[in-house]
Formats: sequence, C-alpha cells, structure tokens
Amino acid sequence: MEEDKKMKKVNIGYVLAYIFIPVLIVIACGAVAAAMDTTGSLAVVLLFVPIVLAVAWWSFGGNFFYDKKKEAFEKSLDAQGFVRNQTFNGGNCLVAVDIEHGKIAVLFRWNMFQPYIFSAKRIQKTWVDDGRGGAGFMEGSSRVSFLFTVDDIKIRVNTFTSNKRWRMDSNYILTGISKADMMVEILNSAKAKG
Amino acid sequence: MSLFKKMRAVFHDDWCSQCQAVMEVVHKQLYALPTMTVGHYHSHDDADYYKANLVKVNKKAEIPTGMYACGMHVYRCKECGHRAVKLTVFLPVRDQEKQEQLLYFDNGEMDDFIYR
Repeated sequence: MEEDKKMKKVNIGYVLAYIFIPVLIVIACGAVAAAMDTTGSLAVVLLFVPIVLAVAWWSFGGNFFYDKKKEAFEKSLDAQGFVRNQTFNGGNCLVAVDIEHGKIAVLFRWNMFQPYIFSAKRIQKTWVDDGRGGAGFMEGSSRVSFLFTVDDIKIRVNTFTSNKRWRMDSNYILTGISKADMMVEILNSAKAKG
Repeated sequence: MSLFKKMRAVFHDDWCSQCQAVMEVVHKQLYALPTMTVGHYHSHDDADYYKANLVKVNKKAEIPTGMYACGMHVYRCKECGHRAVKLTVFLPVRDQEKQEQLLYFDNGEMDDFIYR
C-alpha cells in the first residue's frame, strides 16, 4: 500500500499489456500455424481458439481480475484495521472512507496492482458533477459523478452513467445525485477528522 | 355506492374507504428512516417495520444526505369517523424527492405508534 506516493490513475504498462498481449498471442499462433502448414483440428486450435480467448479476455477477463483485486483490497483494508465507514464502487475506481481515522483508500481499475491509502487531509477539493446539459425539454444528464482532487490529481467516480440522456428529475439521476452528495459529505467528514 | 365512486376512492387517497367521503388530515409528521440509505432500498409493507425504525424529525434538512425519509398523513373521515394512515417513503435529493413506496394502513396498524 502506498501511503504518501503520488497517485497514478493509469498504469500504461498494464493497459498496453491488456490490449496487446492477446493480439501478440493471436499473431504468434497464426505464425506457428502458417510455419507448420497445419491443417485439421490443430489449425483450429492455433487459429480459432486464441481469437476466442482474446475476445473473452477483453470482454470478461479484465473485469474478473479487477473484481478479484477489489475483494482482496477490501479484505486487506479490514485486516489493517481500516474502518470502512463507506465503500463506493464506481466502476473504474473503488473508494473506501475511514471517517474515524480520517483515511481514504483508492483502487483504480487501470492501475489495480497499486492500491493507495492516504490521509483525507490530502484532499483539496470535493464536488458533485450532475452532468446537466441541453436546454428546455432536452435538458438532462447521462452521467453523475463525485470528484475530488488529491495532490492536484482529479479523481472522478461515477455514481450513474448511461448511453442516453435522462431528465434531471428522473429516478436514475436523482439516485446518482444522492449517492454523489452523500460521498462528498463523507469525504468532507473524513477530511475534517484526518 | 356506485362502482365509479369506489374506483375514485381507490385512486383518491384522501377519500374514506368505508363511505367514500373526503377525509380530513388530522396529523402530519416527517420521519427519517435510518435503516435505509441510497442504493440499499428494500420495500417493506409491514407496519411493525416502520414502527421500529422511524425517527421523528422536524424538517427535511435534519435528514442526513442519502438517508430515506417517510412522510406520514393521518386521515379521519368526518362522516363515519374511520381513520387511515398514509406513509410515503421517499429519498430526499436536494430540493426534490424520489418517491419509492406509498402505503395505506386502514385498520389502525399504526395507532399505537402515533398516539403513544
């Protein structure tokens, strides 16, 4: 766990590996199949199976490993005596808040091998972005999130996302705003205690 | 009573279920529901659940962000004296409310809670 290290939301090495290692495996298998001039079931295994596995990895593998990492992270926080007063999973980022000790724990999806625990005092600013856009009857939002800055790094955690725009008084948007307001309040409480 | 009037009574919550007369609101109270927070809502129909968990508040601002609230209306029929209680479970969000559930207690289920 990194207590004071500057945060990195994205590990470029992991992102490149996530994208390109399956591609390289598919190419390598294709090259082997071509070099050996394979036919029949061996050709199917070398040409077809790697493609299926690559698609499965991009579709489910990343999520699976991130879920496992989150579980392990939460367990390690509990083992360390981190009191998880609130844990919010925003899809690309997990934020746990220990109000009693004024600490924040963060795990980023694209940097899942580097969890961070830091004093809530390092939070500079917190706010809610309700994503309001459009005018008149077109006014609405497709994303609600809460944001906070730590060491000038802005961390956005979505409480609601959609591929369509919803009215500002829709249940989805109201729920997202309520979650975001609550998290901002909790972060501010932790900051006051930190 | 005509069928039309009975149907109107179903959709008109301040109408008496016994005689279909308009009931008067004799008591209104706002409560917080600390057992339920945003993202963790489960509907409950049992009056005992609300009697055990409602916490009286004076205004919406006293309810912490993300906590559910419950508005109670106690009705009394001027014609037949029948009493009913309406509970509206909602999530207060800034100046708006996200309504989750409407409950009617017509048989005095909440009486011991209101008049304790």
